[in-house]
Order: sequence, then structure tokens, then C-alpha cells
Amino acid sequence: MLRILLINDTPKKVGRLKAALIEAGFDVINESGLTIDLPERVEAIRPDVILIDTESPGRDVMEQVCLVSRDQPRPIVMFTDNDDPDVMRQAIQSGVSAYIVEGIQAQRLKPILDVAMVRFESDQALRAQLHARDQQLAERKRIELAKGMLMRMKNCSEEEAYTLMRRQAMSRQQKLIQVAEQIIAMNDMLGQ
Amino acid sequence: MMDDQAAPRSDSLAWVGGSDAPEKSAINLGFMALTDSASLIVAATQGFAQPYGLTLNLKRQASWATLRDKLISGELDAAQGLYGLIYAVHLGIGGTPPVDMAVLMGLAQNGQSISLSHRLQAAGVITPEALAKRAHQDGAKLTLAQTFPTGTHALWLYYWLASQGIHPLNDVNTVVVPPSQMVAHLKAGRIDGFCAGEPWGAQAIAEGMGFTLATTQSIWPDHPEKVLGCTRAFVETYPNTARALILAILEASRFIDSSEENKRSTAQLLSGSDYVDAPLQAIQPRFLGQYEDGVGHAWLDRHALRFFGNGTVNMPYLSDGLWFMTQFRRWGLLRDDPDYLAIAHQVQRLDLYREAADILGMEVPTSPMRSATLLDGKVWDGTDPAGYARSFELHALTETTRPLAL
Repeated sequence: MLRILLINDTPKKVGRLKAALIEAGFDVINESGLTIDLPERVEAIRPDVILIDTESPGRDVMEQVCLVSRDQPRPIVMFTDNDDPDVMRQAIQSGVSAYIVEGIQAQRLKPILDVAMVRFESDQALRAQLHARDQQLAERKRIELAKGMLMRMKNCSEEEAYTLMRRQAMSRQQKLIQVAEQIIAMNDMLGQ
Repeated sequence: MMDDQAAPRSDSLAWVGGSDAPEKSAINLGFMALTDSASLIVAATQGFAQPYGLTLNLKRQASWATLRDKLISGELDAAQGLYGLIYAVHLGIGGTPPVDMAVLMGLAQNGQSISLSHRLQAAGVITPEALAKRAHQDGAKLTLAQTFPTGTHALWLYYWLASQGIHPLNDVNTVVVPPSQMVAHLKAGRIDGFCAGEPWGAQAIAEGMGFTLATTQSIWPDHPEKVLGCTRAFVETYPNTARALILAILEASRFIDSSEENKRSTAQLLSGSDYVDAPLQAIQPRFLGQYEDGVGHAWLDRHALRFFGNGTVNMPYLSDGLWFMTQFRRWGLLRDDPDYLAIAHQVQRLDLYREAADILGMEVPTSPMRSATLLDGKVWDGTDPAGYARSFELHALTETTRPLAL
């Protein structure tokens, strides 16, 4: 059963979502107001989905959402009465997977949550690919830098430098990037 | 896949940034705790893949069956594979529905072994003749383990036993045990011997639990063994990723085989707990071709485990793929002759391999077939698979009777 962390930020309509969610068969953990520390609650509760019911998402809400999506990404669905496109854009940019304006019907909740989760997963996959690409580039640069240092130190060819670094890494059961970092650190310490 | 740029490119990295860039920048690569997974581990950890825009996430698997299931489900993008595993999945004979598979390249030749227990050793069963005699005696059948029902170890074991006059399906019992658990099973007395990759044969000797009766290179010098396998859907969806993967692993293979010092440091890397997780002493000697059988013989093996052999190890020869199908047929795993050559053409991705070898300026053998003489004196050259499958004295061939009306 999906665990849902439900954040109520609409005092006048308290309970409108909770009843619908329980009816749809979800495990609902209720919190009220966004004065709570959302990242901390997410860490403690480990929900599958975060649902925020708010009249109009203000800056505080967006900040909390940003923190969660950076540190403990989860699908976040926002129900609101605010249909301002700028607010919607800002919400999506902060990491909201689905932004639903008004009209909550119990029978529509399940498909909305399903879509939000799929959307979240594909976002995460894309993010992981981009992260891998950035890291590859960063690692390549560090390895190149270390290789250049070693070529100067040992007065050897590029291929010899790579081979030396790899042998060192393998005989210590390390990755090439670790040996590259050691060479760079040593080079910094010895100056030039 | 069509490629209208036939000319080899001078700069092997020229295509990385353009439309030939890998579609996926990180892939999950499955492997088993075996010394012949070295080229994957070296490629992933020693910076061979980043220049091609790839990050290889190594995923160690507990058994070949798990590895197969994750390959089919897509949890693994590509993996170290047994030739026989990839073909069994493709043909749907291993208990799973058929899934189109691809062999991207060969990863290793040689280096598996058949071990027997110290109990058999104590009973004087240390030669093929003594084993044949024991197997034909009345009484409890010996139980021999291999690593996967249709895998290379099953087929090496069957081939070797049959060459000694022992029928592998009638004269002994065979069971499946994951390679890294062979020594424990030997110790517990659950099996009398096994065929598996290293370091498990060497480790059986080191622990005083058994000895090496035969190496697989004594069955077929430079025999095909592990391959880089994936689903055909993966190659078709991510052709550039598949090619980048071949490039990275080809370069790592060349690096490992290029000097004894590189092999020594590779063996050290492999013994790490994230990889093969076995003592260096069990890995290194045989990795360098230094064999001891545990019953007094030591030799330097001219056909020890190898990863490159100037590219001959890596070429996905059609005849290599065909051979495994002939043995499936011989032992009744295939009830009819398949369209041998057509299937080998589908599975062996010669096209992608040739592109990758061209990019690295490596020579590619002109013929997709190679010839070898196996220990029973039979010659295999890929020309008549159906006839070859039928040519063995010991077999379990089944013939399906054709229904009268089609």
C-alpha cells in the first residue's frame, strides 16, 4: 500500500483530501500546515508520495519543496486553487511532479498519483543520466590533469603515464580516479 | 544497423560528441565472481569507458540464473554471459520463454577446469581412466556440479566425460551450483566434483578439498567461453551505447593482456571484496598460466585464460556460436535441428564488433568461422553443424517424429 504524506495548508477545507485518499485505499499520514520541517518529516516517515493541499503555494511552500527534491527526492503532488501559470511554473521548477487545480474527486486521485509517480521516475532517470555525464567529464579532467603531472615528473609518454596510474590503482584495488586525486594532492603538496 | 561511413576514423573519439554519442551515459553491467570477468572490472574502474561517454556500474550477481533474469528484465543493460546461457535464452530452451539476444563480443577464452573431491583422490581416482572405471561400477552414481543447465561448464563437462567414454546423462548425476559455492559444496560432501571458472578450481586445491582433473583448454585449446551479452532490444534501442561499451572493453582487454605486470595488477584488483572476493594466491598463478593440479603436476599452460589475443578472443565468430547449438542438439536440449546459421547470424553482432575494431584500428579476421581440433580428435570448423551434432558416439539425440499432416 502506498504511504502518502498529506500536508494540509488549507484550514478551511481540512479533511477534503484525506477522506478521498482513505476511500481510495491509501495509507495516509496527516500533517497540517507548512510550518513543519518538511525534509525532516520526509526523512522520518519515508512516504512514497507527498501530497500538498494548499490554497495558494507561497514562497515557504516552494522552499520546502526545493529542499525535499534536492535531498530526498519523492513524487510531490500539489492540489491548489491557484491557476496562475507563473505560480504553476515555479512549482514545477521547484520539483513538483503534478500540479492540480481545484476539483478533487476520489475516483480521479489514483490516476493522478500514478501519473505523478511515472513522471517522477522518468525525471529521476534523466537526472541520473545527466549526473553521470557531468561526473564523467569531471573525472576525465582530473585524470588528464594527473596524467600530465606524472608525464612531467617521470618524463614519460602519455601511454606510459596511464599504464603507471592504472597499475598503481589496480594493485591497491582502487579506481583510476582515486590514484589521479592522490597524484594531484601530492603534486600540490610538493609544489608545482 | 546500416552504416554508410565505411572508412575507419582516425580519431577513435571523434564520434563521441556527435550524433554517434551513446544514448545512455550510464549502464548497469552484470558480472559473476570469476577471474574471467576481469575485462569488465578493469574497463569500469580504470577509466576505459569515460572517454567514450559511458559510466559502467558494475553489478555482481550471485548466480547465472539471477544474472539471466535481470538481463531479460532490463535491470542489467549488459552482462558477462556464458555462451550457452545467451543461446539458451534466445532459443527459449532454458525454462524461460525465448527472448532475442545478442553477443556483442567475446570476453575470454580458456581457463575453466574440472575438479574432483579429495575423497575421490584418496580412493585413487586421479586419472580419467580411474574416473571412467568408477563411473561404470555398480553403486551410487557420482554427483558432478556445473554452473548453469545449458552453460559452458555443463557442456565442457559433458564433452570431456563423453570423450572418456562416460555418458554424462546416464553414468553420473549432474547438479547446478553457483561457481563461488562449489568449494563449500565439495567440503560438505554434497558433490564429488565440479566444472567451473577460476579461481574456484584453484581454491578447492588451496583448501585441501579437491584437485584439478582437467582444464577446459585441454578439451579445446582457445575455446570460446564468456561473452558480452545483452538483449537484441538493447542493441537496437541503444546502438551507440552498445558500440561504446565494446570499445571500452576491447581497450581494457588489450591492456590486461599487454604485459605480465598488467596481469599481476589485474589479479590484485580482482581479489578485492567488491569483485571476485578471493585470496590473491588462488587467483594470480592460473591468471598467469601457472598451473598446479594438486596431485603433483605443475606446468606453464600455453592456452591459459586470455582476454585479447590480438582481437581473436573478442571476435564473435559465427562458428563459436554454432558450436554451442550443436551441443544443445547432441544432448537433447534441442529436439530438432534449428536453422543454425541464421540463428548465429542473428545473435553474433559481427557488424557492431567490426565497427568498433575499425575505430580502434584493429585487424578483424576475414572469416567469421575458425577451425579447431578438440581432444577427441574431431575437427570443428562451423561448416556442417547438423552433421557434426549427429557425429558423436555418446549423445542423447532425440528425433521428433514428423506429424503426417502439416
